[in-house]
Amino acid sequence: MRNIRRNPDIIWREEEEAREEALRAMERGGDASGDGTVLLVVSGMMHQLNLLGGEIWKLLDGIDEERLVDTLAMTFDVDRDTLSRDVRDFLIDLDRRGWLVHE
Amino acid sequence: MSRIPFSPITINWTLTFRCNFNCRHCYSRPEKAPELPTEQVKEIMAKVAKYKVPFINYGGGEPLLRSDLFELTEYATGLGFNVSMNTNGFLLTQEKAALAKKSGFKTVGISIDSTRPEVHDDFRNTKGSHKKAVNAAKFLKKQGVRLTISSVICRINHTELEDLVRQARDLGAEQISLHNYKCAGMGFTNKDELDLTPEEWKEFYLSAIALRENATDIRISMDDPITATIHKAPDQAIVKGSTCGKLSLNIRANGDVTPCGFIPVVIGNLLTDDLKDLWDNSNILEKMRNKKPKEKCLTCKHYEDCLGGCTARAYATTGDFNSPDPHCWVAK
Repeated sequence: MRNIRRNPDIIWREEEEAREEALRAMERGGDASGDGTVLLVVSGMMHQLNLLGGEIWKLLDGIDEERLVDTLAMTFDVDRDTLSRDVRDFLIDLDRRGWLVHE
Repeated sequence: MSRIPFSPITINWTLTFRCNFNCRHCYSRPEKAPELPTEQVKEIMAKVAKYKVPFINYGGGEPLLRSDLFELTEYATGLGFNVSMNTNGFLLTQEKAALAKKSGFKTVGISIDSTRPEVHDDFRNTKGSHKKAVNAAKFLKKQGVRLTISSVICRINHTELEDLVRQARDLGAEQISLHNYKCAGMGFTNKDELDLTPEEWKEFYLSAIALRENATDIRISMDDPITATIHKAPDQAIVKGSTCGKLSLNIRANGDVTPCGFIPVVIGNLLTDDLKDLWDNSNILEKMRNKKPKEKCLTCKHYEDCLGGCTARAYATTGDFNSPDPHCWVAK
């Protein structure tokens, strides 16, 4: 299985305050998908990732998909199949945008 | 997005108000402020870096007049900033282009306002400035520095959009930034001569948006919130309305902080104030982030998308952040 990295041309930053709020909302059983917890600047355009997207993004520093799901499973209380499917869909989307590098 | 990022994404930094040009539209020409020495600029850079601001862009004033420009850039790059600048290019020799690359500049923007040298030279009040700007662009490309061409859209060039884009493309620019005319500084003094009418702005932006949608080999950037009235921003837009004070701040030559270069309202000074404290607690920024519709904006269906348009233009012409943008073409 190939390792995956973020495209190094993409400038990004974690929004710490938004992430903390989203984590608190998740703990309370609320909706944590609203505000961006990671901001990215790609070719002059700004984008944002929600909590799950942001956590995946931060882990993409040379990791394979299975290990990525294992790590996320420690934070997100969802069944493994659902998590794997969400991660796969997200990676496909990032890849389609050219935001990933495969080793 | 609904919330403001925890600190600015971009710091626009006027390292100096000095300039070798005397342009007819210049916002900063009437500005005067003592210039900080190298070590104090570095001190502020380190303070800003603490809050993970990803981008610094030097404007001003001509950045290349600072003899420590490349030393500062190397320092800023070492702190993790992505550094860029806007320059008129007149002083940008082959040697300076090499230093730009070596010191870590991610992008350099060269100002070229017309494809006709005599028009550009007249606007910039400097003979030979078009030729020098074109040469500067070529030097940067040769050194492998990413190039942007910046054009201030006004009376002299609003009908030559396609030529401006072609010129930028031919020079190898990744982006052309179409800066809207600001009635600040000399821009205010000369607005009757140089600014467009609201209808002309609408016509220009309709053409520019159409051109942008078909451009595959160059990015066409036009950061003007008023375009939201004719072209809805993508759903993932981080903020609506002016980005000043929401995504960016401006630092002047003496360390003073203003919401943007075109709004001369000082909210603090980074020699003594903390960036995060200003960002979170400035009353001025709070007012800019929570504008209230006035006059024709009160009943306008576009208000929730444009938030009154450019706050700097409204402030420059009326002294009120909440006034409608004077460029707005939407009827009452």
